[in-house]
Amino acid sequence: MPLLAGRRLAFRLAAGTAVALLAEPAFAASPAADLVSATVAEGFSIMKSPNSPQRQAAIKQILMTRFDLPFMAQTALGKYWDGATAEQRQRFVKATEESEAKTYNERFGQYSGLELKVVKTTDRPNGVEVVDTRIIQQNGSQPLKLEWEVRKTNQGLRITDVKVEGVSMVVTRRSDFNSYIQQNGGKVDALIEALEAKAKGP
Amino acid sequence: MIASVSKMATRVRCSVVATAMAAALLGGCAVNDTGASEPWDPIETPNRFIFAVNRAVDTIAIRPVAVLYRDWVPEPAQKSVRNLLDNLGEPVTAINEVFQGDPSRAGVTLARFVVNSTIGLAGLFDVAAMMGMPRTKTDAGQTIGMWAGKGVEPENGGFYLVLPLAGPSNARDATGLMVDYAIDPFQILPVAFNWDFWYYSLPRFGLNVIDYRSRTMFALDDLEKNSVDYYAALRSAYTQNRAELIRAKRDKTDTKSELERRDNLALVK
Repeated sequence: MPLLAGRRLAFRLAAGTAVALLAEPAFAASPAADLVSATVAEGFSIMKSPNSPQRQAAIKQILMTRFDLPFMAQTALGKYWDGATAEQRQRFVKATEESEAKTYNERFGQYSGLELKVVKTTDRPNGVEVVDTRIIQQNGSQPLKLEWEVRKTNQGLRITDVKVEGVSMVVTRRSDFNSYIQQNGGKVDALIEALEAKAKGP
Repeated sequence: MIASVSKMATRVRCSVVATAMAAALLGGCAVNDTGASEPWDPIETPNRFIFAVNRAVDTIAIRPVAVLYRDWVPEPAQKSVRNLLDNLGEPVTAINEVFQGDPSRAGVTLARFVVNSTIGLAGLFDVAAMMGMPRTKTDAGQTIGMWAGKGVEPENGGFYLVLPLAGPSNARDATGLMVDYAIDPFQILPVAFNWDFWYYSLPRFGLNVIDYRSRTMFALDDLEKNSVDYYAALRSAYTQNRAELIRAKRDKTDTKSELERRDNLALVK
């Protein structure tokens, strides 16, 4: 029990630091920017524990609560979404969630401990807010440019896309998925199976 | 408002042309909600072949060396190698910055080259950055993309092309690569003065390949692991990344942002 209590305390301390970090920057005034910094702080604090199924579950939890994954999945499937059955859509969204959780586990790990700076938040006419951030790299090389698309949904603000140095995750996924479907005779099932196999794999 | 309407009009016109061309070549054209169409890839079959060859060469020869280089060569040594290679590339950047209509930036790049080549011991140390002259890097592909005209989206770099060894490119960037090669003093001088190929050109090329591969390792591994069709994912990522760089160049010369910049300067005064 003392061990557990200690862990709980450590977690509280970590959460406290995260909140303190969030409260500090005066320029991160917009809710969208706050959402982004909170997500990144949460991701980094999870990264402090060793890699385990629990950690991956925690990352998945972040994705489910901070990102609009069904929307991202729908955009990534592009024109094939309309032709897909309800059952296909459901399986596809689930498979994407699994594979994204894996991806983010690694990405947060790579950048863990680095500093994220919010540069500015821009409102787009279509209701999307773009939060422009930089990750300051340790070895003195150019800071990494990360842009986050934040949208209002029924559950509140959600992240719908991340652009790294101009490369949008969702657009890249769509290119990838569409090409795979085309290579496999225009069948969405082929893609879903490939994604499910990927989620199960190492 | 007017700008956005005219932009819409161009986009519509472009997509009509693109659809007509794509319909002829591919039998379909997907213009997505961000306005960016899928990269145009009329020679996909030969591209995929060269891509496969590149990947094989990479797996056998380049990647292992780059991993050893990244993990075993001390960080300061890697930094110096990078500085040295970057310094040799400064003249090309300066020339391109002149043609991008930014002579003052070109002047800084040239000053950097002079400082780093002398005080920085032939470019091993980036002294100029410490003196408040940060490094910029540009190439002729960006110069072409910048002046390609308002109607041409930066995503549109002509047909997609996979170069042997060099990897993803397109008509615009491959042309840029040739231009850069032709104007590079450090490619001309070795020929003019008959510098030893084994002691200059080959080591420079080799170091460039290993340095570049070690720096792109994480991003490429990430992309490969998380895609179902790596070729298509890389094609998209490359196109987007180049477009971003060109868009940044265009925005700098955009009249509206120029006026805003002057307003800000006036406010400072």
